[in-house]
Amino acid sequence: MIDIILMAYRDLSERKARTILTLLGIAVGIAAIVSLVSVGYGMQEAITGELTVFADLISVMPGKLAGMSYVELGSFTDRDIRDIRRIGGIKEVTAMTHGAAEVEYRNERKPVFVLGGDTDALSSFYVEPVGLDEGRWLRENDYRVCVIGNRVATEFFDEPVHVNDKLRINGEKFIVAGVFKKASMLYAMDVDPHIFLTLRAAKDVLGNEKAKYKYITVRVYNIEEVDEIADELEERINDNHGLDEFATAMTMGSMLERISSVFSILRGVLVGIAAIALVVASIGIMNTMLMAVMERTHEIGVMKAIGAKNSDVLSLFLLESCMVSLIGGVAGCILGVILARVVSLVVSSALGMEFVPTVKVGVLFAGVGVAMCVGVLSGFYPARKASKMSPVEAVRYG
Amino acid sequence: MIIRVEYLSKVYRMGKVEVPALRDVNLEIEEGEFLAIMGPSGSGKSTLLNIIGCLDKPTGGRVFIDGANTASLSENELAEVRRDKVGFVFQQFNLIHSLNALENVSLPMFFAGVSRGERLKRAEELLAKVGLRERMHHKPLELSGGQQQRVAIARALANNPKIVIGDEPTGNVDTEAGNVIMGILGDLNREGKTIIVVTHDPVIAAHAKRVIRMRDGRLLDEE
Ligand SMILES: Nc1ncnc2c1ncn2[C@@H]1O[C@H](COP(=O)(O)OP(=O)(O)O)[C@@H](O)[C@H]1O
Ligand SMILES: [Mg+2]
Repeated sequence: MIDIILMAYRDLSERKARTILTLLGIAVGIAAIVSLVSVGYGMQEAITGELTVFADLISVMPGKLAGMSYVELGSFTDRDIRDIRRIGGIKEVTAMTHGAAEVEYRNERKPVFVLGGDTDALSSFYVEPVGLDEGRWLRENDYRVCVIGNRVATEFFDEPVHVNDKLRINGEKFIVAGVFKKASMLYAMDVDPHIFLTLRAAKDVLGNEKAKYKYITVRVYNIEEVDEIADELEERINDNHGLDEFATAMTMGSMLERISSVFSILRGVLVGIAAIALVVASIGIMNTMLMAVMERTHEIGVMKAIGAKNSDVLSLFLLESCMVSLIGGVAGCILGVILARVVSLVVSSALGMEFVPTVKVGVLFAGVGVAMCVGVLSGFYPARKASKMSPVEAVRYG
Repeated sequence: MIIRVEYLSKVYRMGKVEVPALRDVNLEIEEGEFLAIMGPSGSGKSTLLNIIGCLDKPTGGRVFIDGANTASLSENELAEVRRDKVGFVFQQFNLIHSLNALENVSLPMFFAGVSRGERLKRAEELLAKVGLRERMHHKPLELSGGQQQRVAIARALANNPKIVIGDEPTGNVDTEAGNVIMGILGDLNREGKTIIVVTHDPVIAAHAKRVIRMRDGRLLDEE
């Protein structure tokens, strides 16, 4: 056994350039799979890690989530809020409203989304995780005062907006009390492009019609009850609006499920891409092995002439492709882990969200396993072809 | 009788052209014989040896080796005949260049499943026997033609076959090396092995105890 390995090794090292190319093909394919999957898991863990902080939270929206898209069906009313408060086990209910408004700054006008709500609740949702760059947060008795997201301050208008600057929101004068820091990926869409007001001010500027609540958040006392309460909450609001599916109440549990399903789709796509890379690599191996068979026709003939059985030749060639793919697989795993780190660094800084790749041992084993399968499968045809050659014709060749 | 050839024929097909290489060849070889086959180029000598050595299959007729009809043997059994019963020596040596002399000689024993230690020990003995103990670790291309052919003979002897076949074994070496090679084959014959060699050279053929001639795929009457 040792000798046959040695022999295969020598054959491979004699054809260094091509062996290295094949090795590389497999290694790159496996590295792609390992790194993409590890980065995917790492991101997922980072996001779910941040979200588990909100385990006592229920978010209620007046619409339906279908896959990744959201269809708004209307707004919540004061009656909805009263009814929710009556449900047992609820610690706190916050209603928020939002809508587009025309914002004027130094004679420049832009449409911007305005968000109003309970200032304490908004603070724990947004100010605590994101933080303010300048100024202070809203107070409940503030009136014509706003806090703006980082992109509103730096990108929306020709001139940057700072604390104490004046904005007109739908014609009403406001003073900027604070500016948010740039938010991480998780919060970027919620914070960066928005202007935050007190609920009263938001109702005023958005007008009575639009001032109905677009978003309700509920905190419960007991995390165990959170799903139960969410169901009851949906039912009551649906009753109020006379629709079967008007409200969507999401708990972190259901949110985490959604996220993990999105990530598993994402991983599927990534693995699919990597699989294509592997198919290409396997064509490469097959080609290498076919060339090796061709090149060594004479040698195979000699081996058969001195008593090698077909199975001896077959196993010699299969062993060669196994060795190539094993080394390729292991190298691919190492490369993949390194690549995953690099990609994570780049993606972390691009998205403003800290995370490290999660390298699962199973993924590494699968990587090597896949490499071996690819190697053996693509080596099999050439090996079989080699083993079936007639000794006399093979010896005469070359 | 160790080899019996009955009405052996071989036709090569090249597209639509049929080339008869052997026509109704009958031949009996006793155990322990030293037989030389002579004849002009293209007369079918190699074809005959290849079929006797189970490297090729006949179009018609039968070959018995050590009592077994080769036509009834499976691929694996034919490989076993090549491995254990017949040692084949080629004009072109046909050593494996990536392996050194010792490994080349071990190879048939590797296929026979002999343990590594035993294999190397026997390979060493065989190389000593052909006078190459000092060259054991050389690669074929580091050896002269005559030396390579001696390695090939050692390899042919690896699994201690009863029959050694040489297809112009001296065809690619100088006269002196040719004589050494024929001397080794003569020694093997004296040890009881059945030797069959093809040669053009009457001096070489003189080493043999029996000489047969071929022409146009037929055996001529023996002298
Ligand atoms: N593979 C082959 N294909 C076609 N014809 C062949 C082949 N091998 C040998 N022949 C023909 O068969 C005849 C006998 O060849 P061979 O046995 O090699 O003769 P020798 O060894 O006596 O020179 C020749 O006419 C040769 O051209
Ligand atoms: Mg010939």
